[in-house]
Amino acid sequence: MRLDIRYRSSFTYDGLVRESQNELRACPCTDEFQQLISYRVTTSPTAKVVSSTDYWGTRVDAFGTRAPHSSLEVLAEATVDTRDRPLPMGMSRPELLVEPAFVDRHAEYLERTPHADWGPEIVRLAAEQTAAAGGDVVGWVLALHRLVGATLRYERGVTSVGVPVDEVLAHGHGVCQDFAHLAVALCRSRGVPARYVSGYLFTRDETTLPPADAAEDPDDAVRVQTHAWFEAAIPGHGWFALDPTNQTAVGQRHVKIGHGRDYADVQPLRGVFSGGAGASVTPDVEIRRLPVVETAAVPPPGRLLLEQDRRDQQRQQQQQ
Amino acid sequence: MLARDAENLFWMGRYLERAEDTARLLDVTYHGLLEATVAEERTAWRGVLHAVGLDEAAREARTPITAAAVSAYLVDDRSNPGSILSAVEAARENARTVRESLSTEVWQSLNEFCLSLRSRNLRTDVEHQPHELYGFVRKQCQTVAGVATETLARDEGWRFLKLGWNLERAEWSSRLLRVRQQYLEASGFHEWVGTLRSASALEAYRRAHRTSMDPLDVVSFLLLSRTFPRSVFFAVRTAEDALRMLQGEDEPGVALRLAGRLRAELEFADIREIMDGDLEAELFRFESAIRGVSAAVGAQYFTSAHDFDLHTVQVFPGEGNR
Amino acid sequence: MPTVAAGLFDDYDPETFFDEVFSGPGEVREHYTGLLDRLRRFSAEDLARRERRRDAAFRSQGITFTVYEEDEGIERTFPMDLLPRVITAAEWEVIESGLVQRVTALNRFLDDLYVGERAAVHDGVIPWWLVTSSDGFSREAFGIPVPLGARCLVAGIDLVRDAEGRFCVLEDNLRSPSGISYVVENRVAMTRLLPNVFTDAPVRPVDHYGRSLLGALSRVAPPAAGDTPTVVVLTPGVFNSAYFEHVFLAAHMGVELVEGRDLVVDDHVLYMRTTRGLKRVDVVYRRIDDSFLDPVTFRPDSTLGVPGLMAAARSGNVTICNAVGNGVADDKAVYAYVPQMIEYYLGERPILPNVDTYLLWEPEQLEFVLANLDRLVIKPVAEAGGYGITIGPKATEAELEACRADILADPRNWIAQEVVSLSRHPTLIDDHLEGRHIDLRPFVLTSDTVEVIPGGLTRVAMRKGSLVVNSSQGGGSKDTWVLAARPTGEAEGDTDAAAATPLLEVTGDVEVTS
Repeated sequence: MRLDIRYRSSFTYDGLVRESQNELRACPCTDEFQQLISYRVTTSPTAKVVSSTDYWGTRVDAFGTRAPHSSLEVLAEATVDTRDRPLPMGMSRPELLVEPAFVDRHAEYLERTPHADWGPEIVRLAAEQTAAAGGDVVGWVLALHRLVGATLRYERGVTSVGVPVDEVLAHGHGVCQDFAHLAVALCRSRGVPARYVSGYLFTRDETTLPPADAAEDPDDAVRVQTHAWFEAAIPGHGWFALDPTNQTAVGQRHVKIGHGRDYADVQPLRGVFSGGAGASVTPDVEIRRLPVVETAAVPPPGRLLLEQDRRDQQRQQQQQ
Repeated sequence: MLARDAENLFWMGRYLERAEDTARLLDVTYHGLLEATVAEERTAWRGVLHAVGLDEAAREARTPITAAAVSAYLVDDRSNPGSILSAVEAARENARTVRESLSTEVWQSLNEFCLSLRSRNLRTDVEHQPHELYGFVRKQCQTVAGVATETLARDEGWRFLKLGWNLERAEWSSRLLRVRQQYLEASGFHEWVGTLRSASALEAYRRAHRTSMDPLDVVSFLLLSRTFPRSVFFAVRTAEDALRMLQGEDEPGVALRLAGRLRAELEFADIREIMDGDLEAELFRFESAIRGVSAAVGAQYFTSAHDFDLHTVQVFPGEGNR
Repeated sequence: MPTVAAGLFDDYDPETFFDEVFSGPGEVREHYTGLLDRLRRFSAEDLARRERRRDAAFRSQGITFTVYEEDEGIERTFPMDLLPRVITAAEWEVIESGLVQRVTALNRFLDDLYVGERAAVHDGVIPWWLVTSSDGFSREAFGIPVPLGARCLVAGIDLVRDAEGRFCVLEDNLRSPSGISYVVENRVAMTRLLPNVFTDAPVRPVDHYGRSLLGALSRVAPPAAGDTPTVVVLTPGVFNSAYFEHVFLAAHMGVELVEGRDLVVDDHVLYMRTTRGLKRVDVVYRRIDDSFLDPVTFRPDSTLGVPGLMAAARSGNVTICNAVGNGVADDKAVYAYVPQMIEYYLGERPILPNVDTYLLWEPEQLEFVLANLDRLVIKPVAEAGGYGITIGPKATEAELEACRADILADPRNWIAQEVVSLSRHPTLIDDHLEGRHIDLRPFVLTSDTVEVIPGGLTRVAMRKGSLVVNSSQGGGSKDTWVLAARPTGEAEGDTDAAAATPLLEVTGDVEVTS
């Protein structure tokens, strides 16, 4: 599926701002299942944008201005091709999770982080679910994924980032990043490496996906927000991406920006400004489906991939 | 130079001058009142507070109008940013922040001054040996000034130091006159001698005017003297010189323009005209012109170092459009 | 064998420790004989008086550090003992080559980690999980190159001498090691207080530090900066406990001492705010922690840093020294792998050994340590300044229990080491001499070459029997003399400057007023 994405954030300040410095993470990544065709960032007032690839492999666009201004707009335009991500085939024994080389490689996806920490209740729930799921890590992850869907109700504006996962669990509702963080925390509490994914979802409503085989898509242009889901590392298979908010596997309608230990590693936009008293930020994403262009094959992963991931892949390919 | 360093040097100069002038004012007030009645004393101390612009603050701090209480408030009260102790500590903090652009000797003399001031029992001194205490403060301030004059390069930093020093001095010299002016009618020979002494001006005045204590001569000397370094005119001219050097070849900025205008007015003033008019209003006008120069210096040279108030922006997924 | 100096050293007992001055009771080591001869004419009381004079001089010069207690800042002087510590030319040669080797390997490791292939990880020299679990590992520094690979431009390596007198590395300080100002100021004070003890002692000078540091910083400037790059020292401000040192560094280099609010980034170029507008800055020698450097990238609440600084560094428009993320290499668990790093990167045997260290995530080592807690030293991996250390033989039963609980809660966060008895040095206590434990922190500068400043900061545990030398824990210091090899060969710095700076020559008794 070829998608055209326009990500726009408009800052409106209460007063005149003397300085503003920001980092944007809005660029779709290129990996095995998705390829970036074009990407462009512009700002108004005009600022020089410096791009780099961060530790996690996500493109970062840094921009700032010192010209006094009372509003600032950043626009990122991307064209990306997506494919379905295959589901893990076969079993993956839980014993492989504690294999030293596997643990070493995935250490940072097993640790507690500020947005994905867990208490006794999560440990209990995760143990219960995985015990019922039997001796297969894929089954574990699916069970935990379903548990998130069964436990949380989607509700806007009731949480903000910074609410601990335990509390989200107790409240029983949240938005996409709460679903993702809870899934990540559940996986990690059972020793399954898991990471938080930031991206876009091509749908009119973040919680309702049209049927995957809908021939005539009515949603040719939709206004959405950035979305979040998670990926779990399955020994012998690789990263398994699931969207707990929609209770579905991640497919062609999901456009991945990047991943990290939690939200803080792939925050779409962060920055500071001085002067003025406050600001309101209006993010706005428009996604349009473009005429399908068949690409012969997805080219090999580019340099956006981390060395560690490439080694992971090699190793996993050897194991197949 | 770094804008913040320039600002610190400017304020270091101001605070040191403030400490010295406060000591001078207290000294002359105290000794002028040794034989005064309680009512006279109250009036005089109220006048002191009024002159330094702290009458409101002192009222809020519930300072009774007695020699001991007002002196204590102006000497060692840390809650009063205008007290001698606060001013010296502030000067030291300013110096500490720009230490790399000062000579070791300047820093050391100021540091020693501050440490010895802290180690004194100021309350007792105010009561039992006020003259010694105020003399000590004056002498230490002059020592720092002397060491600075002898050891600092005549660069930008020096000019900011001198600028602060002289703007503060010009304002204080005018205030001192204003305190006296309120009691112009009642002021006789001894009061004027006291005023001159508090400005370290007695000897210089006598060389110019012998033993005459005509108010017109005294006011003229302290306000307009071209030779006495603590006169309002002299201090304003010195500040103007510093600004001129800072300005270099560029078009005069607001600060220099205001200072030049004030200097010219004082340079060509007619003392009789001033004395025939409302002297207090006139002095008040000079003081606010001096404050205007000071504000212009801040706006021209220091503002870029100010108000670094940071705010964070974050955008969360699944939010917005609300 | 020379005999002990009369009077001053009469009652001194080296006991069973390795003593720097005495090889046995009454037996003075060769390189101390000259010094002791000259000290003979002083009584302990003379020395004590001079020490008080030094303290007063330091106080009036503001050579102090600030200790915060109940929100009130107290300015303290760092005590300097008047008996200098002497290191022979031969000993120094070993230390110097060992430090050059170690710091070179550490720089290679950091560059490998942040901008390289992570070869040491892939080749199994150091586990990846250990790197990623280190508090000092900075993902934000990933991909930011540092010219010449000089990521720890200034390193302070803490050395101790064991019971046999062997120098070993106790820990590496690769972030913002402090103390160099005391090295220089101690020497200045010594030449004033006891000028006569220097006579004909060929002591290598230390006061060229500012010039060496500025040279090194200038060499790592972005290429576009030209021949005379603008260097600044970035301080958290006047309330920082090491503020005196920041002033010292700026003054000795003749550069601006700036705070975060003096700096601004425009179009990914760093500037400082001056009375004449913005001036471009090429190199920042920062003395603030990584997490405060840039509120865009790190803590958004930091007011000490400069928004946009990291992006400017990433663009190659400014060099930040020491580089961001060095903390991963002075993590005390990573320390255990430094000997392997030296062998891996340099193909050499380590010249200076580590102290034996137990890694507590290894089950057998953990078991051993828990069984022997009362005779080991337990340290948190990420702390500096001697905080959080438990010394088994001196700990109470309750302290040991607490320590055991801490270890079990997070084994990665702790290491255990054998107690190194630490050499002792005669030290003036009240009116007589007593042995006190000491260490040594030499300073190492890396740019296109690696330079070690002769000597370093000798820290003294002033409390009797104590092994903790940190200034924050009541430590003192000594002037540290490295004797020049005779005949004097090439001195440090360039040759004509070395010729112009003779070895210390002080005549006459210079008084320090206080």
